[in-house]
Amino acid sequence: MELLTLTAQFEWILGKSNYWASTVLLLIGLHAMISKNNLIKKLIGMSIFQTGIILFYVSAGAKHGAQIPIVHYGHDSHESHDKAAHAAEHAADAGQQVAEAAAPAANHAANHAADATHTLGETLYVNPLPHVLMLTAIVVGVATLGLALAMVQKVYAAYGSIEEDEVLDAIADSTADSTVDSTVDRTVKGTPEA
Amino acid sequence: MMDQMPTILMLAPFIGAVGLSLLAWRRPAAAMPVVFGALAITVLAAVLTLREVLANGTITYLLSGWDRLPERAAGMAVGIEYKIDAFNALVLVLIPAIALINALYLRTRLAVECAGKEILYAILYLLLVVGLCGMVITNDAFNLYVLLEISSLTSYALIGIGRRRAAHATFNYIMTGTIGASFFLLGVGYLYIQVGTLNIGDIHEALMASSELRELASIKVAAMMIMAGLWLKMGLFPLHGWLPNAYRYAPTATGSLMAPLVTKVMVVVMLRMMVSLFGLDYLFAELNWRPVIVGIACVAILAGSFFALAQRDIRGMLCFLIVAEVGYMVGGAWLGNEAGITGAAYHVLSDACMTFCLFLAVAAIILRTGEHRLSAFRGAFRKMPVAMAAFTVGALSMVGLPPTCGFFSKWYLLIGGVEAGQWHYVACLLISSLVNAVLFFRIFEIALMKVEVEESGSFDVDALPEDPEDRWERVPVGTIVAMIVAATAVLTIGLLNRPIASFIATWIGQAVEVAP
Amino acid sequence: MIWQLDLILLIFLVITALISLRVRDLLGASMVFGIYSFLICLLWAGMGAVDVAFTEAAVGAGVSTVILVATVYHTRRVTGGHKRASGMKVLSLLLMLVLGGVLLHASGDFPALGDPTSPANDHPVAQYYIEGSYQDTKVPNLVTSVLADYRGYDTLFETVVVFVAGIGILAVIGVPTARMRREEVCGDTAQFGEDSDLIILQTCRLVVPVLQLFALYVIAHGHHSPGGGFQGGVLFGASYILLALSGGLREALRRLSESMSFRLAACGIVIYAGFGLLCMALGSSFLDYAILDSILPGGVAMARSHSMLIVEAGVGFTVTTILFVIYANLATRGKLEGGL
Repeated sequence: MELLTLTAQFEWILGKSNYWASTVLLLIGLHAMISKNNLIKKLIGMSIFQTGIILFYVSAGAKHGAQIPIVHYGHDSHESHDKAAHAAEHAADAGQQVAEAAAPAANHAANHAADATHTLGETLYVNPLPHVLMLTAIVVGVATLGLALAMVQKVYAAYGSIEEDEVLDAIADSTADSTVDSTVDRTVKGTPEA
Repeated sequence: MMDQMPTILMLAPFIGAVGLSLLAWRRPAAAMPVVFGALAITVLAAVLTLREVLANGTITYLLSGWDRLPERAAGMAVGIEYKIDAFNALVLVLIPAIALINALYLRTRLAVECAGKEILYAILYLLLVVGLCGMVITNDAFNLYVLLEISSLTSYALIGIGRRRAAHATFNYIMTGTIGASFFLLGVGYLYIQVGTLNIGDIHEALMASSELRELASIKVAAMMIMAGLWLKMGLFPLHGWLPNAYRYAPTATGSLMAPLVTKVMVVVMLRMMVSLFGLDYLFAELNWRPVIVGIACVAILAGSFFALAQRDIRGMLCFLIVAEVGYMVGGAWLGNEAGITGAAYHVLSDACMTFCLFLAVAAIILRTGEHRLSAFRGAFRKMPVAMAAFTVGALSMVGLPPTCGFFSKWYLLIGGVEAGQWHYVACLLISSLVNAVLFFRIFEIALMKVEVEESGSFDVDALPEDPEDRWERVPVGTIVAMIVAATAVLTIGLLNRPIASFIATWIGQAVEVAP
Repeated sequence: MIWQLDLILLIFLVITALISLRVRDLLGASMVFGIYSFLICLLWAGMGAVDVAFTEAAVGAGVSTVILVATVYHTRRVTGGHKRASGMKVLSLLLMLVLGGVLLHASGDFPALGDPTSPANDHPVAQYYIEGSYQDTKVPNLVTSVLADYRGYDTLFETVVVFVAGIGILAVIGVPTARMRREEVCGDTAQFGEDSDLIILQTCRLVVPVLQLFALYVIAHGHHSPGGGFQGGVLFGASYILLALSGGLREALRRLSESMSFRLAACGIVIYAGFGLLCMALGSSFLDYAILDSILPGGVAMARSHSMLIVEAGVGFTVTTILFVIYANLATRGKLEGGL
């Protein structure tokens, strides 16, 4: 087993830092969801859990030295990567500038408007697919949060507390006393108590 | 037109829901007609799609019109696509059909259980169907997640719309459900980072093509996370905590829709992941999880059956029976042989029907008698012949007597268990049938003999209804028809077990063939 | 990607996450959660995920914090002092350790962060998105083109998710009778914000129109810059929330009533799905915008570009109205009166 030099080890750590952080955040959130007593803390934990996963995906699509995924139009947008060059240079750099590729300019599509056909500055763009996925994930997360908060309000209206142990006690109390008539609830069906 | 059927299937309930929101916001009377209409169209589209698949084999439908890249032999999917094969097509008929028949029952309960919120309920109902169908029909892992979340959110709301006791149960369901869905998403992420695509077929090919890829720890962990997420969502013991309370305290029409469908669709997704994404070879030859998972399934079966026996209220009993049934399906699927998977797939169909039948019958009995414990069955054979007949059919199917579908699905599962040498699974199946027999024959005894029932054990008063005015004088016609149709389905699927099973086997065969 | 900044942000993220979960004042916890969201948004911007950062800032740091605060307002502000059975905590910690071990073990064979030759980045489909999408769609923002065209089907359902959230919240806590009353009362002629703080009121009166214009700009310019239907919609919805916070919910409802909101939300989805159906009616498959070049000017690529703009506008409608409805219901426990 070869001993990595200090810088190589550091490089290796940097290459995993986001993934480790994402795992840690995920676990913090999950632990909060399971073990916290207060319902709102559980929901904050849920959001942290979800952002951990989102961090994972976004990190999967990142590239060193890449541009944001908005192509410079007015140039042709044919980019390609020179794989050999990248693989060789990648290991030692952090924050290297634009990588040049050697691919020739490709054909234009017939329906290019009156753009001048420059030859290309080959630029590296970040992978857009994880971004698209995570936009959806964020929206789904906030939708779930909204619905869950509505349920918290309903639980509070029903039991007067948002601490899990107090709620469970309240439920047990209403069970044990079998003569309790939940008349308060009966008046208007399907609507919560005021 | 014919080749647009899959989209029409997805769009019909969707447009119904959106149309209700747009045009009928203040008109609760519009809710049921639109639900019926939309679901009828969906069932029709699903049947036509099934016919198409029977005639021409697997259908692939490209959304947004993107063709696959001409690159490799099969090309790579640039957009999202549907893939409808033998098993899918059957499930796609099942989902809207059950929703439609349930709507007959829903009609009688909507104004009572959700006063003032009829339109909202109908919108959520239709969108739940969209979510479930969408999960089954898609061939893209992330799209599956989005539709999973749609079904989840609609089901949270459909349960949370209920009374007071539903609040805490729904909150727990939200917590567990989100963990499950997020685990699924994380698993897909791990696959993505190593494979680079989200299309299920493409991922499968990539895995088949490269053995280094298969040996990576992250792929194993991906499989683990995906399975764990799905098990949480389907209620496999011991991850079933949310299930009994959620279904018990939901409005009754929600319970009779979700109990048959939601957990089964999760099983369908699990089967899809196993057969079409990871591939049976990888899962059974390279990862050796079968002993562990079949073991968990056995525990689930036993736990579900015995807890069901201990329940004092009828709906709780049914909920634990669902937990046991999930154990059957997971165990059967993880037997790994063709008989096991066919059995699990067939059991999805049969369990959906028999659970539906039972839930409907039980709802009718509870509403007619006003009691939720076993005492509700006193003299029921005479008082409510149709409901009891439906209940009997469902019960016999649960126990596993021919010619009901429950018998045949147990038969396939047993064969699979024997072939795979998993004797503990076989034993658990048999024990559970015995326990079910005890359970149901006890009920029959009460129903026939007017035996006095002991009212011991803790029971949650808040669990149900209705105040004395909310009782049926007679079971409404719609519900009677619904029960008859459900019971007939149980028998029909049983009688048609040969053709159905061999049809399903073609799916498994096709999926296995794709691997080079 | 500046790795030093990334590391610092990661450390602060973990710290703020832990703080927000430990703090006993729930209002404080929500605020710290807002800080957490902002930090993670910075992290993503640093990694080049500008659209994601934009959405997180608007949705995560903005809307989530507001609805958390609204719920805290209606329940209890302080927690703690309750000793949960420590068995659960221990079990959970053990579970986390096991899970953490498994996940970290898996991360051992991940490609290094930022590697352009990783399977995900090097994949033919990802390459195609980068190289071919401008030709196909004439839209420079790759995220928008993938979101609204290649994976447009997903986005349709994302919009439906937002819609379901609005309907669901209304279904769960909405009070129907109070609602009908509110709709009538809103016709009265009370002065704008007569019982609000003067400074807040006047400042918000200045901010809201600018915010709305900016929101429209974000939607329209989403093809060329970070932005698009979701982000713009959230901003627009936020402007209504701001109106409600400053001048009273009644004022905001006067301008955008609840039934109108749901109708507009449904309109947004109808626009999106309707476009897809239009494509089907013209003979192609669902959401295949290419076929629309027979009715839209400019050729196939421009047809896609125009269609994307229109469906993004639809998404904007839905997101705006539903976010406002979510806020309105959560802030008033479903009764649409009173509120924050």
